[in-house]
Amino acid sequence: MSRPNAFLLAAYSALLKLIYPTHLYTCYRDQMLQTIRDADSDRTYNGFQFWSYLFADLIRSSLLEHTRMFRNRIFARPILIHTLALALILTVGGLFAALTIQAALRRSADQPQMQMADKYASALASGSRIQNTLPPLQVDIQHSLEPFAIFYDATGHAVEATGHLADSIPTPPLGVFVHMRTHAISKFTWQPRSGLRIAAVMRRVEGPQPGFILVGRSLQFTEVDEALLRRGTFVTWLLLMCLLAAGALYLDRAERLRRSPTPA
Amino acid sequence: MSSPASDQYLPLTPAVFAILLALSDREKHGYAIMKEAAMPAGGQIKLGPGTLYGTLDRLMRDALVEETGLTDDRRRRYYRLTQFGSQVLAAETSRLSTALRTARARVTAEEVRA
Repeated sequence: MSRPNAFLLAAYSALLKLIYPTHLYTCYRDQMLQTIRDADSDRTYNGFQFWSYLFADLIRSSLLEHTRMFRNRIFARPILIHTLALALILTVGGLFAALTIQAALRRSADQPQMQMADKYASALASGSRIQNTLPPLQVDIQHSLEPFAIFYDATGHAVEATGHLADSIPTPPLGVFVHMRTHAISKFTWQPRSGLRIAAVMRRVEGPQPGFILVGRSLQFTEVDEALLRRGTFVTWLLLMCLLAAGALYLDRAERLRRSPTPA
Repeated sequence: MSSPASDQYLPLTPAVFAILLALSDREKHGYAIMKEAAMPAGGQIKLGPGTLYGTLDRLMRDALVEETGLTDDRRRRYYRLTQFGSQVLAAETSRLSTALRTARARVTAEEVRA
């Protein structure tokens, strides 16, 4: 290899300008290149290893210096750190609150069905006939928000129902009945057709007419409430973030003005 | 020799220790520092120009090292330790010596047991 290697030195110089922090480049460029020339002319280094190491060192040190500068810039402005921390706390707290409210909304959507399923199951277990137990209603499951009940026999076939979907009695997936063999009650969200979600409660019925009673209700109201909650949470979060950003900018500006020297 | 001010810099990174050590006997320019750091007596630390000058910049900002102002070429500047830099180097040397003594004693005890 020829010494000094003008091409590699030019490449190093170009890369130095491109990736090394500007203030270090301005202060030390000449010295860095001179150091390389000195090392190159010393002839104690293996050419290939020497230049590979120089380029690797340049890349590594540039990354480290940029990271250090970024960290110093951030920590030099405590208002920024405090604002980011507050924003993070508000975001996580808001998200947790919204999820808790959403879960509570969903749980409350099951409440009437739970009571109705308990009532029907105990009536049927005590020997009451199914036709006399369920109210004489015909709920349109697709459009109504009224609760409905369906009684399935032990094999999972619908026997009696107060709700219909397109003139037929819907049946939940087979997995629900399998699950009910080992559980007395099950709460689940049922989607008998696309766009229609039902908050369903199924209870096992013992006694002279064994089977399963399912009580359900459209989740339309709950979904509207959930959508309102999501929108409200997002708007509130956005407003808070804007207020925080405005406050932080104002304080940062005031701090910089305070620190800047005043003319005599 | 060690003071609270110098202790806050400890432990030193290998690169900082090698640079301070290289400058401890007399002022040197960049390549001389690099060369001495790479020798066994200097800690065998490989320093490229990127690492060397970035570290020197920080050491000057923290007043551990200063430029001498003397130069044989404007591209070859000389650096020396400040008094504070010497204190930091002494504190680190003392810290390392203590650890080394412990390590030596334990290794010897281990060898005797074996």
